[in-house]
Amino acid sequence: MDVAAQLTELLGAAKVHTHPLDRLIYAKDSGVSSGDPAVVVLPETAEEVAAIMRTAKEATMPVVARGAGTGLAGGAVPAPGSILVVLTRMNEIFQVDEIGLTAWVGPGLINLDLSDALAPRGLHFAPDPASQQASTIGGNVGTNAGGPHCLAEGSTIAHILGVEIVTADGDVMVLGGAAPDLPGYDVRGLIVGSEGTLGIVTRVLVRLTENPPDVVTMLISFEDIGDAARTVSDIIGSGLVPSALEMMDGPMIEAVENFVHAGLPVGAGAVLLAEVAGHADGITAEAALITQIAATNAATEVRTASDEDERALLWKGRKSAFGAIAQAAPDYYLNDTVVPRTRFVDVLDEIYAIADRHGIRLMNVFHAGDGNFHPLVSYDASEPGMTERVVAASHEMVRVAIAAGGTLSGEHGIGIEKRDLMSEVFSVDDLDAQARIREAFDPEGLLNPGKVLPDGSRCFDRPAR
Amino acid sequence: MTTLRAATLRLFERLHDETLAVDAEHVVAPSSIEEAAAVLGAASEAGISTTFLGAGTDLGLGRRVRADLVVTSTRLNRITDWQPDDLTVVVESGVSVEALGAEIASRGQTAVLPEWVTGATIGGVIATGMSSYRRLRYGPTRDRVLRVQFATGYGRVVTGGSPVVKSSTGYGIPRLVTGSFGSLGMIGSVTLKLWSNPPTTSTVEVDDAATAYLRTYRPLAVLETSEGSFLYLGGTAEQIVAQARDVAGDSRHGLVWPEPIVDPIRIEFRVPAGLVRPAIDRSRRLGASRWVAEHGVGRVTVGLGTLDDASFGAARSWAESVGGALVVASGGKDIDPWGTPPESIDIQRRIKQAFDPSGICNSGILPGGL
Repeated sequence: MDVAAQLTELLGAAKVHTHPLDRLIYAKDSGVSSGDPAVVVLPETAEEVAAIMRTAKEATMPVVARGAGTGLAGGAVPAPGSILVVLTRMNEIFQVDEIGLTAWVGPGLINLDLSDALAPRGLHFAPDPASQQASTIGGNVGTNAGGPHCLAEGSTIAHILGVEIVTADGDVMVLGGAAPDLPGYDVRGLIVGSEGTLGIVTRVLVRLTENPPDVVTMLISFEDIGDAARTVSDIIGSGLVPSALEMMDGPMIEAVENFVHAGLPVGAGAVLLAEVAGHADGITAEAALITQIAATNAATEVRTASDEDERALLWKGRKSAFGAIAQAAPDYYLNDTVVPRTRFVDVLDEIYAIADRHGIRLMNVFHAGDGNFHPLVSYDASEPGMTERVVAASHEMVRVAIAAGGTLSGEHGIGIEKRDLMSEVFSVDDLDAQARIREAFDPEGLLNPGKVLPDGSRCFDRPAR
Repeated sequence: MTTLRAATLRLFERLHDETLAVDAEHVVAPSSIEEAAAVLGAASEAGISTTFLGAGTDLGLGRRVRADLVVTSTRLNRITDWQPDDLTVVVESGVSVEALGAEIASRGQTAVLPEWVTGATIGGVIATGMSSYRRLRYGPTRDRVLRVQFATGYGRVVTGGSPVVKSSTGYGIPRLVTGSFGSLGMIGSVTLKLWSNPPTTSTVEVDDAATAYLRTYRPLAVLETSEGSFLYLGGTAEQIVAQARDVAGDSRHGLVWPEPIVDPIRIEFRVPAGLVRPAIDRSRRLGASRWVAEHGVGRVTVGLGTLDDASFGAARSWAESVGGALVVASGGKDIDPWGTPPESIDIQRRIKQAFDPSGICNSGILPGGL
């Protein structure tokens, strides 16, 4: 009996798909790579995922897990001939502990659906990637997703207390938990950000965050993007950590304004979206400090959201950036580098120079407070040689960030797209150590092969078993 | 390998540190992580059991291990790259918590390390995974270890993590090494994420810690202790005044932390945050002389004069039944310090094997023989 037939017997026909059209639907995530799975399965329980994994192991077939497919690095692209495990049906909220501020949820739960469900209790899930209306908690765990509010709250890893996984052997186990500092290694911390290469996450224990009593959201405009960048450096240097500090450059402002009509200042060189949250008495002073720093850096306008609707509109503008650029050209390529915040201005200058040199159209949206750049090249892939030019320019931008003391990815992960750049930030020994970890979880290399680590990473003697 | 062995034996001789009163065949004090790796490579090849020593302030943590070789961090004592405007610092493992704290305080910054340690090294705190009381506001120590450079049990220098405040680049090796008790190798240096100290801080004595915790937005810590309950606030002066008013307690300027627990036996309940109160009740039943309970976190540190095996066993069973642990942090003689090994112990053993294939690094110090 072939694997698809075995899986159909285990799960029922409604959860197993092999038709070419079904396989095509799941052939890629939101990056530029694609692949063809042998079979697509949509399990509903951890036991079903475990049964799939055991079947895969017996047949020595690779297994790739995915959520909504909003990832931008190709982490969820099916390996050739793989079983693609789509976890979107596992989207329950199992239990909420309002005193301990935790909840167990399914990996297929949409990020924003969790915060919406928690809103009546005055709580939310802090990581808020721009994709949060579509991306799943499991996907957020896989990539250690970020978002604007990770500046003050930390990335997804700081909000995941435990995970239930199906191992490469097909066992179900819980790593971590609601109690602090459980004895043994922090294997939970390895799972987060591992892009489905160490286990398949079937349940997640998330940390919940109280909604702040008060929030001030400001849109600050500048004629010159260098002034905006210096404002960011000065705010961070002042000791204030706003709850978010985002930036868009002129071309991006124009694209977003055409798309969402949020009243953004078209024609400005850059805008900062700054937010402070906390007790009303304190955040007034913090907002005043930000305004003062912006003024000394030649800000042309500071607009404060007057109510929740205006605040939501400003955020919609920021979070629609990737959608908005579709008007400019049919395709885009996005980087996700992070640089030390003190190098922000220099690196920005170099990135624009690279785009000019390659004659490509560049728009920028940044998690500026974290030093996390998203230089976004919009282009038409049908133009001969264009994709190669764009990728070459983007890799140059990555190398500039690395030379400035930065890293490859702040929140999107490595996947396929950045895999071969890993050796630019890690030594042979470093990559070998990561490969040892992978081997400890998945000795046969069945889980999401070809992602994260470049081929040949495991290069020293294998330990005796 | 002969060349490596010869080189390492020369290093042993040069690095031998006779000033330390440690009972071991060899005591070496490397002055770089490369030297540490060379030592470990040779020890691994020769099968020499090895342990690591910072300031030796918390040797009671973990299961007792015997070692023929002690590698100390005394010569790894530099703050190598502090970037105040990036809020990051690269610090070697032998630097003391106080020395780092004093240096970065000159720009109003903190690494949010444990408040009660005296003389402990950064390497010791990271290796044991100890966190500050302020973890309620800033998260545990392992959330701030951005990058780690360490010498593995197989004698190579490995760097994991990224030098910047946000990263999704490869596996979370800094989190693996934090709290690994030297069982995977020796920490050479770490990059830490720093925070600015709040402009104003205050310690407020309250009647009921649990209520104060629920009424306050983002306090630094809420401690219920054998001496009283305290709310720790940080922020602008306006915020502090408003929050102290909300809980109606007596307020003192600055952060006044509890005295360290120095009883003969120290144990820690680590339970879900909502179960701090039952953990305090169980501490009392065990005959606690002092305790510090962290609301919103779930750790209750307890000082005891003696320990009755049966009552301790019952308390540990309870802690494990609620998904937590009861850990013996010092004293306690022959009692297993950790309790039942985690469900993922087989994977954890494979990780240990991957980083310490000869089993020389502090083997057995963690649960399940790790």
